[in-house]
Amino acid sequence: MMEPLLDIRGLSISFGGLKAVADFDLQLGPRDLQGLIGPNGAGKTTVFNLLTGIYRPQAGSVRLAGRVLTGLRPHQVAAAGIARTFQASRLFGNLSVLDNVRIGCHLRTRHGLPGTILRTPQQVGEERAILARSVHLLSTFGLQDRRDELACNLPYGDRRRLEMARALATDPQVLLLDEPAAGMNPPEKLALRELIRGLRERFDVTILLIEHDMGVVMDICERITVLDYGVTIAVGTPAEVQRDPRVIEAYLGGDTVTK
Amino acid sequence: MTSANARWVAPRPAAAGTTWLYSLLPLLAAIALAAALHFGLQPAIGPFRTNVLMNIGINVILAVSLNIVNGFTGQFSIGHAGFMAVGGYTAAAITYYTSFRVWGDALMHGGVLSGVPANGWLTAGDALFVGSCLAGGLLAAVAGYLVGLPSLRLRGDYLAIVTLGFGEIVRVLLQQSDSDIPYLAADVQRMSVWQMARHLGGALGFSGVPFYTTPFWVWLFAAVTLLVAFRVKRSSYGRAFLSIREDETAAEAMGVALTRFKVRAFVLAAFFAGIAGGLFAHEIGTALNPRELGFMKSFDIVIMVVLGGMGSISGAALAAAILTILPEVLRSPPHVWPLGLVAIVFVLMVRRKAGRRAALTLAAVTVALEAVRAAALWQGVNLADYRMVLYALSLVVMMIVRPKGLFGVREIWDYRPLGRRRAATVAVG
Repeated sequence: MMEPLLDIRGLSISFGGLKAVADFDLQLGPRDLQGLIGPNGAGKTTVFNLLTGIYRPQAGSVRLAGRVLTGLRPHQVAAAGIARTFQASRLFGNLSVLDNVRIGCHLRTRHGLPGTILRTPQQVGEERAILARSVHLLSTFGLQDRRDELACNLPYGDRRRLEMARALATDPQVLLLDEPAAGMNPPEKLALRELIRGLRERFDVTILLIEHDMGVVMDICERITVLDYGVTIAVGTPAEVQRDPRVIEAYLGGDTVTK
Repeated sequence: MTSANARWVAPRPAAAGTTWLYSLLPLLAAIALAAALHFGLQPAIGPFRTNVLMNIGINVILAVSLNIVNGFTGQFSIGHAGFMAVGGYTAAAITYYTSFRVWGDALMHGGVLSGVPANGWLTAGDALFVGSCLAGGLLAAVAGYLVGLPSLRLRGDYLAIVTLGFGEIVRVLLQQSDSDIPYLAADVQRMSVWQMARHLGGALGFSGVPFYTTPFWVWLFAAVTLLVAFRVKRSSYGRAFLSIREDETAAEAMGVALTRFKVRAFVLAAFFAGIAGGLFAHEIGTALNPRELGFMKSFDIVIMVVLGGMGSISGAALAAAILTILPEVLRSPPHVWPLGLVAIVFVLMVRRKAGRRAALTLAAVTVALEAVRAAALWQGVNLADYRMVLYALSLVVMMIVRPKGLFGVREIWDYRPLGRRRAATVAVG
């Protein structure tokens, strides 16, 4: 088998006596779409925080295309090619929708402060490319008409999409989505499924998705990892996971699988 | 222009010719503005108002540069006068001692632009003055780097305390310097550079610095400061600063190296504060002593930034102008109702319905101020004696009327008097 794009092995962290994540393993290939589910407090977001350098793992390693990311600062992880959205919206509220996306683009530019002050040809060229790319991203997410609005004035669903657009602006190889459907209404959720599926081809990214909405997860994910109390209790296709008795007991809390 | 490809590809640079033209054109505009104020306005307003004009320019530089730290990146620095002092004393010492070494005295050797038309257009003295201001700016920037590197990992109040401490350290160090400033060429000739750096006038202040500062130089540097601030704010680089103010965690996740960017904002701000210090040191009518550049001065600058609206460059500049003029105007308090009337009409135009409350407040304030004025006249009280009270009172009123500052995070032209308000920033053209 080929070496996986994202290779996570034995990732662990505990806070005080609480093992938040224990021995988390995950291998993702290019353009995979993997779900990460589990009840509240299962450690899903902690996994994201470990992957993106917000927390430092006490054990285990993260490799992206062979490069070890463990111990890097969040901005270095972003530069290496992992981008994320946040569970609670963390948009730049007092900036315009367009600027939110343009900030994501800054990472890949090469000019510095002198270029900015002098407005050198390189800076102007990159600024134009940022604008073009941002406009393209906004239209991908259906936000082109809101580009000059302040991010804090957006309705909930738009915020979620803007978070994704902003994360993709950093040109990632792996995109971590933390509950993108939260707060969306049913038609928006349906549209979201198609959108996320399409992102893989359009932006050539691998997606790891945390989501509580089972309709969305079971529909779009190829494989799903189930966490409970920081421990991986099941891995498999949506159908396998839904049949897994441990998942049914721990996560879905009883006898039926909700659809 | 770019295809809808997935991966970011380093774009081709823009066409060199026109880009460099647009890059440098504003600099010509800055020179033109400075020349207009110098040759056009200065002769018309007399020496006292010329000094106010220069003070406005210096305060614009200070407020706009502090705004890069406090407004753009959302950090809270209250030690800006410390950087001003570093720059001011560096520039003063360089000019003073170099003048002795080169010409044997510390008199004016500048040309037209420094206010001595007899000496010709640009002289070695001008070069020395500009060079010493830039050197002051650079040393202040170095100080900014040294202070910023360890302390910008701190947030909010903690950073404020560190910057306050820095300002006080600078003040005390300057106070401890030797108060004997040599005024004979022979004495200066014997001094080593190290000794020069120790003879800065102590608590008495650095006297005898030639008065090179003119409206031209002040407004040239002020215009450049404004230009740099605008270019930074409306750029990819500047948006990284703004993202730190908005949400540090999210900014970091977008690839913004927090500490590095904060330090850079700090260094940039310190550089311009140092230049402002250099201009201040060479200005006629100012006293370059440690007390003048203590934390009271730092607070004055912070007030300008807060009043203008955190992050608003035009707001900071306008607030700097208002707060420089206000104490002078209050020396003989004029009627306020014409200004009040203009303000009310303006507010009603800008905000229409929502402006009604603001307009009422303004009307009440205007009436109250006129009442105070009338009462003072009636009782034979000289209001000018209480001008600093009135100054402070007007600050209180302004903060109540507009808690987000004059323009919030917007710029003055983001307000359309008759139309819908726009978002804070627009696309780069």
